[in-house]
Amino acid sequence: MSDLMQTFPVKRIIEHGPGVKSFYFDRMTDAVAGQFVNVWLPGIDEKPYSVSALGEDWLEISVKAYGVFSGAMMKLKVGDLVGIRGPFGKGFTFRDNALIIGGGIGIAPLRILARELSERNFRFVSLLGAATAHEVIFVDDFRRRSSNCYVTTDDGTLGKKGLVTDDLLEIIKKEKIEFVYAAGPEIMFVKIKELIDPLGIAYEFCLERYMKCGIGICGQCTLDGSGIRLCVEGPVLNQDDLKAVTELGLPHRDASGRRV
Amino acid sequence: MSQVKFLNLKLKNPTVLASGILGLTASSMKRVVEFGGAGAVTTKSFNIEWRKGHKNPSILPFRHGLLNAVGLSNPGIDEMVKEIRLFRRQCDAPIFASVFGRTIDEFAEVTRLTVEAEPDLIEVNISCPNVHSEFGQPFGNSCEDTAKITEIVKKNAGDIPVSIKLGPHGPGVARLARVCEEHGADAITAINTVGPGMLIDIEVRKPILSNKTGGVSGPAILPIAVKSVYEVYKAVNIPIIGTGGVTVPEDAVQMILAGATLIGIGTGVYYQGIDVFKKIEQGVREYLDRHGFKSIEEIRGGAHE
Ligand SMILES: Cc1cc2nc3c(=O)[nH]c(=O)nc-3n(C[C@H](O)[C@H](O)[C@H](O)COP(=O)(O)OP(=O)(O)OC[C@H]3O[C@@H](n4cnc5c(N)ncnc54)[C@H](O)[C@@H]3O)c2cc1C
Ligand SMILES: Cc1cc2nc3c(=O)[nH]c(=O)nc-3n(C[C@H](O)[C@H](O)[C@H](O)COP(=O)(O)O)c2cc1C
Ligand code: FES
Repeated sequence: MSDLMQTFPVKRIIEHGPGVKSFYFDRMTDAVAGQFVNVWLPGIDEKPYSVSALGEDWLEISVKAYGVFSGAMMKLKVGDLVGIRGPFGKGFTFRDNALIIGGGIGIAPLRILARELSERNFRFVSLLGAATAHEVIFVDDFRRRSSNCYVTTDDGTLGKKGLVTDDLLEIIKKEKIEFVYAAGPEIMFVKIKELIDPLGIAYEFCLERYMKCGIGICGQCTLDGSGIRLCVEGPVLNQDDLKAVTELGLPHRDASGRRV
Repeated sequence: MSQVKFLNLKLKNPTVLASGILGLTASSMKRVVEFGGAGAVTTKSFNIEWRKGHKNPSILPFRHGLLNAVGLSNPGIDEMVKEIRLFRRQCDAPIFASVFGRTIDEFAEVTRLTVEAEPDLIEVNISCPNVHSEFGQPFGNSCEDTAKITEIVKKNAGDIPVSIKLGPHGPGVARLARVCEEHGADAITAINTVGPGMLIDIEVRKPILSNKTGGVSGPAILPIAVKSVYEVYKAVNIPIIGTGGVTVPEDAVQMILAGATLIGIGTGVYYQGIDVFKKIEQGVREYLDRHGFKSIEEIRGGAHE
């Protein structure tokens, strides 16, 4: 574990389908579910990625291609050197009878969470959604570990056609859910919050913001209303942390600090 | 006992959040005061137009501090004026607005517009060492430019006091401070980051910062900062915001003995957490108690003959 930048060769790459890959490195650090590392591609940029799994001797991150940086990640080859520092942030807490909700590449931090919950023999149910089948990464792993696994895709290529939030309340009731974990696009959090706040169910969301330092100095990732730094006090926030946050689902800051 | 008077202001304690650290939004600065215990806060340096700054990596820890080339990223004056106003509505602690310009005229313009937000002090950043490639040498490396900027900012700042932020480079911090005082500055902030410096990844064999070079802060620069404050205290009669490398109470006491009225803390947040201000305030108080002093004033400049 180190805040200092160190570079490591890519050991292995899995392609889940077009534009979605997992990358493996020698395990250089411990990490708990929800923590992230800052990944540096020399000459390009540096961005945060959740640790998606840890093995005896390997660390995995999973990336979906959106823009310049994640696009460049897709071009990495085995043996290429990548800078990694971290892990940073505060992860998930471990709860029994939970529902794990993942949207798109937000499934990444939930994969390590599912592993940690099953190692503790906690019962949990998974509800995973994405645009299309191959974006529901590691679905077999989730199916094996959860007591039940629901899947939705926008195009109906896997599971039910629709959104994870479509049947959320029914699933919570049927599966006797006492706690909710979620990671994915912000609009999904807004919807989930709307649906479950009235039930009084406690939850933890894994949020994203533009980050620079990862170590709580620059202020780039602070949330309006609470002043919480997502890179230190997050990226996992619970229902109480979120009470003071006024920018959930609203435009948030870019590299200059403007809300866009 | 920790209360201090600084110009026309009363602070609960002498610690100040340094510019560029957690100073982008009202919510963030409010947390630094309420949870962190800072006596006052300084905003991130801003200009009229927004800037993205340099690409990442832009902030890197090394074994003795941080190297940064954020590149003066900021959301522009309109956003910052809003945040300063919001802070003032929500928080009693003084707020210092840090401004910069690419030209001397821009310093005048950004000051004029900042006055509308009614900050308690305008801090003028003429010493950022990590925008060379774009801006050339910092203005603060030249006595002539420093004089011009001090004068023009004072002219536009109205009743709001002005502190000029200096670095340890160029013609020397004492000479520069004297120039600032002669041209009307109300205070001196010393020092900015030191350098620029560089860190190289030995596997990739390339500089790690996207900007290649950046300013050094944190424990590594404490002796340079203490010496700078010492020199400035000898050279001028206006108060000093002593900044650079303060992470524990003993560092702050050194700054006060060198002559600082307020203690700026930036990188200390990384080493000690947001409540570094509380910890330092407490530690300084204990130091005074232990030695039978009743106030910080009694030891200010105490290291001088
Ligand atoms: C704590 C944390 C953990 C993260 N973990 C992961 C992870 O495990 N896997 C991963 O792939 N990314 C993760 N990210 C996001 C990642 O850091 C980058 O932001 C992302 O890869 C896009 O970067 P880019 O430069 O390629 O695209 P950008 O140029 O930043 O974006 C291109 C376009 O895509 C949009 N976009 C970017 N990201 C998303 C998104 N997640 N959902 C919807 N639209 C988006 C942008 O708004 C923009 O319009 C994480 C971010 C944080 C803060
Ligand atoms: C990440 C970072 C960003 C900074 N940005 C600014 C800035 O915008 N304006 C400025 O005047 N100083 C800036 N500084 C300098 C600090 O305000 C301070 O003078 C310097 O870091 C030394 O103090 P420290 O060792 O307590 O950090 C920055 C420093 C750091 C580490
Ligand atoms: S990324 Fe710098 S404070 Fe969070």
